[in-house]
Amino acid sequence: MKLRILLADDHEIVRRGLCALLQKREGWEVCGEASDGREAIEMAKQLKPDVVILDIGMPNLNGLDTTRQLLQYDPQFKIIVLTITDSDQVIREALDAGARGFVLKSDAARDLVSAVEALQSKRMFFTPRVNDLVLRGFLDKGHAISRNEPPSLPILTTREREVTQLLAEGKSSKEVASLLNLSTKTVETHRSNIMRKLGLHSIRDLVVYAIKNNIIQIQMPAQPATTQTTVV
Amino acid sequence: MTVRILLVDDHPVVRQGLKTLLEGRSEWEIVGEASDGIEALEKVTSLQPDVVVLDVTMPRMNGIEACRLIQEKTPGREVLFVTQHDSPQMLREALAAGARGYVVKSNLARDLVEAVEAVSQHRPFTALARPRQS
Repeated sequence: MKLRILLADDHEIVRRGLCALLQKREGWEVCGEASDGREAIEMAKQLKPDVVILDIGMPNLNGLDTTRQLLQYDPQFKIIVLTITDSDQVIREALDAGARGFVLKSDAARDLVSAVEALQSKRMFFTPRVNDLVLRGFLDKGHAISRNEPPSLPILTTREREVTQLLAEGKSSKEVASLLNLSTKTVETHRSNIMRKLGLHSIRDLVVYAIKNNIIQIQMPAQPATTQTTVV
Repeated sequence: MTVRILLVDDHPVVRQGLKTLLEGRSEWEIVGEASDGIEALEKVTSLQPDVVVLDVTMPRMNGIEACRLIQEKTPGREVLFVTQHDSPQMLREALAAGARGYVVKSNLARDLVEAVEAVSQHRPFTALARPRQS
């Protein structure tokens, strides 16, 4: 029987590359491709893939929140997250969200096939660059590794996190409402609850919070560029 | 005549994706790959490709700098930028550095083949993802 894989990344060129890598393996099939987290959730529910590969930095719904929502829906999903950073915070969040694989995008050509194989045989896979201590500490003590840090994320509900990402991406309350099938008034209530819970006063503060907490990721331009633009 | 292409991007997965988009054309040959600007300069010198498909943001030496040096040291090559920077400023810098083409990564499936075809015939090809307010 074929191993069915669902792939989610907002860059088509990356999906092409990943597909080419995965489909070299006999018996593996990419059964679906999604370009953001929301689409990934819909497709995963419908296609019931054996393995889900999620980019962390996706628009509309990031890969970590997609992981949380998918596992809430069905804890049996096997999820690998792809990331551009191996910072301790992102690793902890990925583990916390329930991902069983963690692969750096820059190493995907080498590691992704191994990661899928590991999950297939009910093991976990973390990119070799992940500090062993971080991993062991987390696994031994559960969530204790982050006890010295303020529990910034769990304060918000799943819905509030979704709204936070969309607002931080620059969408208006009306646009958020339409994306989430809510009324504008409900979105505005969520928005004021989020600001109150996090002690923030402006959308600018919210964007900073979203970046610091990996809800959205920024891409920096090339160094010697004369014009510095930041693409969120 | 065969068009000889060098692919330069720091992500092997992206290079793999570029290959799958380009491999449909029998008259195009991918002669090599590089993962940063310095390696690109070395490979351009040794392989003498017709077209260099170049990412902007890379470690050690970025694509803009590499493009300038390629044009300075080994003229006669056409450079096509393939980048996530959907920005008129970056496009201007790329052209000022001597590039003939500029396409945004989010539109590659639509634009890449056409862009390589254009620059291989020394015609410009530039496409941002969406019009910007100036």
